[in-house]
Amino acid sequence: MVSTIQNTDVKQKEADRAVVVAVTSRAVFDCGADDGDEVCEVGVAFPLLQALQRVNERLLEENPTESLLFDVVLITSDSQQQQQSSRIISNTRHHGLEISRFCFSSEEDFTESLLKNNVHLFLTTDRDEAAQASQKGVFSALLNGKVASSEQLRVVFCGDAVIRTDAEPPSASQDAAQSFWAQLGEMRRRFGVLDSPLSLVLLTSRGGRESCGAALQTLRSRGVNMDEAYSLAGAPRIPILSLLRPHFLLINHLED
Amino acid sequence: MSEIKLTESAPTEDNGEEKDWAAAKAFFDNLKTNKPRPPKPRYAVTIAVSSRTLFNMVKERKIYQDEGLEKYVAYQMEHESEPLMPGAAFPFVQALMNVNSRLRQLYPDSEELFDIVLMTNNHAQVGVRLINSINHYDLSIERFCMTGGESPIGYLKAYMTNLYLSKDSDKVTEAIEEGIAAATMFTADTDNELSKTQLRVAFDGDAVLFSDESEIIVKQHGLDTFFEHEKEFENKPLAQGPLKCFLEALGKLQRKFIAKNERLNCPIRTFLVTARSAASSGARVLKTLRSWGLEIDEALFLAGAPKGPLLEKIKPHIFFDDQMFHIEGAQQMGTISAHVPYGIGQKYHKGKLIEQPPKKE
Repeated sequence: MVSTIQNTDVKQKEADRAVVVAVTSRAVFDCGADDGDEVCEVGVAFPLLQALQRVNERLLEENPTESLLFDVVLITSDSQQQQQSSRIISNTRHHGLEISRFCFSSEEDFTESLLKNNVHLFLTTDRDEAAQASQKGVFSALLNGKVASSEQLRVVFCGDAVIRTDAEPPSASQDAAQSFWAQLGEMRRRFGVLDSPLSLVLLTSRGGRESCGAALQTLRSRGVNMDEAYSLAGAPRIPILSLLRPHFLLINHLED
Repeated sequence: MSEIKLTESAPTEDNGEEKDWAAAKAFFDNLKTNKPRPPKPRYAVTIAVSSRTLFNMVKERKIYQDEGLEKYVAYQMEHESEPLMPGAAFPFVQALMNVNSRLRQLYPDSEELFDIVLMTNNHAQVGVRLINSINHYDLSIERFCMTGGESPIGYLKAYMTNLYLSKDSDKVTEAIEEGIAAATMFTADTDNELSKTQLRVAFDGDAVLFSDESEIIVKQHGLDTFFEHEKEFENKPLAQGPLKCFLEALGKLQRKFIAKNERLNCPIRTFLVTARSAASSGARVLKTLRSWGLEIDEALFLAGAPKGPLLEKIKPHIFFDDQMFHIEGAQQMGTISAHVPYGIGQKYHKGKLIEQPPKKE
């Protein structure tokens, strides 16, 4: 059973233009098992939501009629959390988060609520959930466990497999990835080189400079201009990632 | 970070690290070209160069300063198929590549090689021109950081950098404060014919290989006190300076050639070029090096004579000194020089105390 509640405090985005980002409520609010109308602790995804909000604010500053905005949807599939639906909604209000819809479903059919809501990117801290969503053709990514800055949205793309050979037909998930990237690229183009509320970062782990260079050019041809690029060529990735402070990592293979 | 890295008999590392390394190794081994794969960072001697030291970007720099960042990025993108001209660090990088090919011949399975990393705060779109230029000269640079504006200093440690070269003295100072050997590069005024078969590196002594403790004595108490002090403490090793670990790394690679009976044909040669005199203050320097287990191929004591003419004969690919006076002298006679902004020498110019402006916030 899937149900969706609209947040009446927030202006709803234009369905065919907005970039719909779904986040699990478990990642946004860390509600204890206690009863009562308490304020929940913020979860790992909180800075991300603030950063998404900042991007929207800056987009509207550039153009008050902008329709290419982030549309944030909160997914609750945890049965325990469902009992606290009113707490989730009240905490959203309390923290001033711009969440437009709340989706409640069981653990088995949460992917249905993703598809129903035309989600372009699904973010979770749970690897299995991400894999399940990916199988249904929803572009998914793991949230960065370490709290990142809320000032600038930083998206890291692990680009080792950007250039797909034409022989392979694209999977549904790969198509979803490409279209998300195209939207992100278009958003990024609304701002200049300096002082952008979002930064697109390319990281390649395996190939050398030519692979990274080719990835930069391929992405550019799809309308995605990266701001930063790091070629590791086998160097350890953890120290670099901790410096990059991404809000989330987009990788082609969830096993990485 | 001033520690040199592991030898190859080190214990096993993180599993994720191993996966990344194995995948990169497989990638390079499967390439149809004979491109040498980059070494494992923890065993390599990593040299990080900025874009402006690797290539001549004077014209582009001016556009950035006069017309701003947007115009600069647009200009670079417009010209991205045009390779940039070589910069001050270019001959040094080529010499490092030559040492690598000699090492690979003698030790085909070793990861103890030079690793050259491009470390720039340029925007990734400007990076396309940088990559195209590296391709044009076929330089062995596979790793890079293009930070799009952020200081690259944090990444120096993440890439396990042994030496950082930049045109920006603020970044170099920051690196040294973080314990990473670093120097600000200056182009030479004339073109000297540099060796294509041997990497030649010249170092000043005080405040470069050694601490500035003795230089403080000269500046504050004069030469006579300095000579007396050095004689008295001849057997007490000097404290180490910011470039000591780099000399140590060079020595480690030199020993690999010596081990294969290639001492006479060694493609690395090191020089000490110091204003000290052999008679009075030189002994302490040599004894200090010996106490550290380090060798230097040629030690030249100038007893205060200008360094320029001697360096012109030596023709190093790079010369490190802490005093701008010596850097300028070397430059004028065609030597590629690198300033090490460390120690008491920064407060003086040609023996006079410089008026320090209030520190920027």
